[in-house]
Amino acid sequence: MTDANTPAIACQDLWQVFGPGAEKALTDALARSGNDADAASKILRETGYVPAVQDANFDVKEGELFVIMGLSGSGKSTLIRCISQLLDGTGGQIRIHGEDIMTASKQRLIELRRKKLGMVFQHFGLFPHMTVLDNVAYPLRVQGVSRKERLKKAAEVIELVGLEGREDRYPRELSGGQRQRVGIARSLVADCEVWFLDEPFSALDPLIRRQLQDEFLEIQAKLKTTIVFITHDINEALKLADRIAIMRDGKIVQIGTPTDIVLNPVDDYVREFSKDVAKGQHARVASVMHQGTEGVGPDDPGLRTDMTLDAALAHCMELYEPVPVRDKEGNLVGMVNPADLAAALQVEEA
Amino acid sequence: MTALTDAPTTRVRLTVGTQAALITLLVGAICLALEPVAPWLVKWPAAWVLPATDWVGSILTTVLTTMKPVARGFSALMAYPMDWANFVLNGTPWPLVIGIVTAVGWYLGGLPMAALGFLGLSFVLASGYWSESMNTLALVAVSVPLALLVGGAIGVLANEFPRIKNALQAVLDIMQTVPTFAYLTPLLLLFGFGPVVGLIASAIYAAPPMARNVLLGLERVESEVKEAAVMAGGTRLQQLFQVEIPSASTQIMVGVNQCLMAALSMVIIAAVIGGFNDIGWEVLLTMRKAQFGEALIAGMVIVVFAMVIDRMSGALATERKRYDTRVVWGLLGFAVIFTVAFWTRLPVPSDLTLLDPVSDALDNGLTEFTRSNGAALDAFKNNAMFYVLLPLRIGLDQAVLPFTWGFAWTTNMSLGLFLAGAAIGAVLAWRGNVTGGLMVLIGFGMLETGISNLPWPFVLTGAAALGWVAGGPRLAIMAAGLLSTILISGLWDRALLSLYLSGAAVFACAVVGGLIGLLSAISPLAWKIVRPICDMLQTIPLFVFLIPVLMVFQIGEFSAFLAICAYAIVPMIRYTRHGLVNTPEEMMEAAIASGATQFQIMRDVKAPYAAPTILLGLNQTILYAFAMLVIAALIGTTGLGQSIYLALGKADIGLGISAGAAMAILALVADRLVQGFAEERRKALGL
Ligand SMILES: Nc1ncnc2c1ncn2[C@@H]1O[C@H](COP(=O)(O)OP(=O)(O)OP(=O)(O)O)[C@@H](O)[C@H]1O
Ligand SMILES: [Mg+2]
Repeated sequence: MTDANTPAIACQDLWQVFGPGAEKALTDALARSGNDADAASKILRETGYVPAVQDANFDVKEGELFVIMGLSGSGKSTLIRCISQLLDGTGGQIRIHGEDIMTASKQRLIELRRKKLGMVFQHFGLFPHMTVLDNVAYPLRVQGVSRKERLKKAAEVIELVGLEGREDRYPRELSGGQRQRVGIARSLVADCEVWFLDEPFSALDPLIRRQLQDEFLEIQAKLKTTIVFITHDINEALKLADRIAIMRDGKIVQIGTPTDIVLNPVDDYVREFSKDVAKGQHARVASVMHQGTEGVGPDDPGLRTDMTLDAALAHCMELYEPVPVRDKEGNLVGMVNPADLAAALQVEEA
Repeated sequence: MTALTDAPTTRVRLTVGTQAALITLLVGAICLALEPVAPWLVKWPAAWVLPATDWVGSILTTVLTTMKPVARGFSALMAYPMDWANFVLNGTPWPLVIGIVTAVGWYLGGLPMAALGFLGLSFVLASGYWSESMNTLALVAVSVPLALLVGGAIGVLANEFPRIKNALQAVLDIMQTVPTFAYLTPLLLLFGFGPVVGLIASAIYAAPPMARNVLLGLERVESEVKEAAVMAGGTRLQQLFQVEIPSASTQIMVGVNQCLMAALSMVIIAAVIGGFNDIGWEVLLTMRKAQFGEALIAGMVIVVFAMVIDRMSGALATERKRYDTRVVWGLLGFAVIFTVAFWTRLPVPSDLTLLDPVSDALDNGLTEFTRSNGAALDAFKNNAMFYVLLPLRIGLDQAVLPFTWGFAWTTNMSLGLFLAGAAIGAVLAWRGNVTGGLMVLIGFGMLETGISNLPWPFVLTGAAALGWVAGGPRLAIMAAGLLSTILISGLWDRALLSLYLSGAAVFACAVVGGLIGLLSAISPLAWKIVRPICDMLQTIPLFVFLIPVLMVFQIGEFSAFLAICAYAIVPMIRYTRHGLVNTPEEMMEAAIASGATQFQIMRDVKAPYAAPTILLGLNQTILYAFAMLVIAALIGTTGLGQSIYLALGKADIGLGISAGAAMAILALVADRLVQGFAEERRKALGL
């Protein structure tokens, strides 16, 4: 394997355009617009093409949980379909662990999908003619694993997602949430290194969703896979993500940590997403802290960098002068003005 | 289409429809007016006919003769499985066959299906046609796997290579529009007399539905299911055979069902070649000898087989319960024990004459019935012939004779007819419906001339005009172009005769079927009665429709007309009802909320919304009518169907193929025109 700094996924100038002869249309549009992505997109739209992914550039680090958000039709599913090569990609480059997969042979792609890539589909994509057990065992079946062995492995994963006892049901006999778990189990059975999940929890009611999110975090902690996760739900994104990418009409408008997205939205579109978020519960003290400790007041309410704004504010309700901030080890790393804390929570009203 | 009056001038712009109708009317009028000086404007002169039929004949004969050795080899090869199937089916003691069918019935559909199998086969046994039936089944048993294999392969290939899909679909269309008899002549030359011809013909006829359904099923597999198979790391073959085909199994089973039915239907039709002692041959023979009681019983045997095969294979295509397999083993065991126990005393099936009294009674009853009601039946038939069919065929000017109508047709009457037409047309035009007015005028003109005497420029222009309105210039050129090949090859008169008879039948089906459909849409009770009849009519092989009409009305055009109607009416009923019943709820509610009466809802909401569906039904009815037209040639029709049938008798490949092609062209043109209109209506409704 390549060295540790190679990103798990690297996308460069990635385009996916729908329409007849899309590749030529894209080259022409880029030439006409002088390589300006926005202008090229506009030209493509005007000529009846759909630029579902426009000039995507990002890396996903090894072991990172990368969340993609965006309104319906903004191109999220299309983006991960490109990365997993279910769609060819109209232009640009995709590397997985440094390997260019846009030019990979069919045989190599099959190998990659067997060993490295796993995917959970938005509408489950379960095989209607197979039982839960056979569905989950299918990725092993195509690899030629013996029946006994694959069923044993499948039974383990089924237990992991909490579906034991339903192995012999057919997909049509399951509820939406149960089907989704089958989809998750199936994508887990072959021990993938890069895991794509397309709105895996959106078909579920809030209670089960929260429960599955927790289970999901547990699984992720156990398996340490690289994950690309699509969701509509900002709270889910903030809860799970290491970083979040926000898409609009095919374009990635912002990539950042949950705090970034909440506190420093680049435009109204992104701001709209985080509008209803209780910011104080997601933003951390670190995001409003100043370096240096000049002018720090006499009081030390014990703020830490990783405290949420809500918690910090609760500690310095009555204070007006800047207070010191320490890191996990207790070293003094900066200061924060209580007024800034309150202001950060109020961006919205501005 | 609404009249566009966007121009600032006050002149009303003519719509495409009006223009088309006007041009057609003018062409027709000019042709008729100039007929005395230029008769070629009405009748295509014989001197202008290209001997295309002969060319086709000699080319095909050469080609087929070179292919003959291969074909004969294949024929010899196929003789093995056929002999084998024959041996197995005829050699198996009948209690065992009945036991197996009953057990299969149980396995597929529980008690009702087991009962159907048991009673059905018992009837066959009692009829004394057991061995003939087994011969037929042997043919089906060999041709169906062939058709399934070929059809399935075509479907899968079309799915794998989207490039060839359109071409393949066109070929399938043609394979299904070319009338069944037309296949037989070249096959006879290729494979020689004998059951292999029936076998091949039925495989050719039965493969397209399989191919279509396989393709449809594969295309309908949810894209995420396909993608899940890709992401699991399956090779293309693994994806196809482990995921896509099993996921499409329901649709594929529909294909299997249709394939079986088509094969059975064709095997029976192929009996006209003779040489194989099967049940179709039995029907033909008894019909020729006017033993209608027996013909009917033999026909019933065919219907029973059709029902059993259809319902059992249909059960494969629906989601089903799993039935206790112990019953299956029990039934089989019982059959074996029964066979062994009564081995020496088992009656030979062909000696069974249990139903002879029935057929005798039927014969006597029929004779009695025709004798006592002969006058009424004749009157019915003659009235329909003299006052409806004949005028349609040769026009009022020739059909109205003193000895039928009581007076002779005069020029003044023609004038009066045209004036009446013009008056109605003018009223319509004045009320804003110019196109309608012109159509009425055209209709009256056709009534005066008769379909078989229509001037050829008028027919070509009319087809082109319809094509233009329904689908634009391409369709217009296609319609006129295809029809002119019939004109040039000298089959025009026969084509018009076919057009007349199928046109009359389609018209009758459209009116009667539409009304029945409407009734079924309004009253659930009516549908409860109509529906099983429709199911039944659709299961019966084409051939069997001839028996009852022949019994009552003897050989002739009227019997053929009735047989065509009986077969072709079903889609019209079904689609009309379906279209009317499935109006979206919110549209209905909107209409009710604005205070529309039941009738107004039907007229203003349901009927327009159902129009595309009803047009599709009409389309099916037209295709059914053409298919039956050829079969009906057996009981006396003129036209292309008769030519195809005669060509078969004389082994005249040129005529057989040309007439078959002409028939297919008629069907194809009608199909595309109606589909064009349906498409246009759908677009207009924003569907
Ligand atoms: N195969 C295709 N052909 C043409 N257009 C497509 C195709 N697939 C997707 N699109 C278009 O690309 C755009 C992005 O679709 P995509 O499915 O990626 O959206 P999404 O962000 O996943 O939306 P949702 O949240 O509803 O799942 C949409 O406008 C869609 O219509
Ligand atoms: Mg999506």
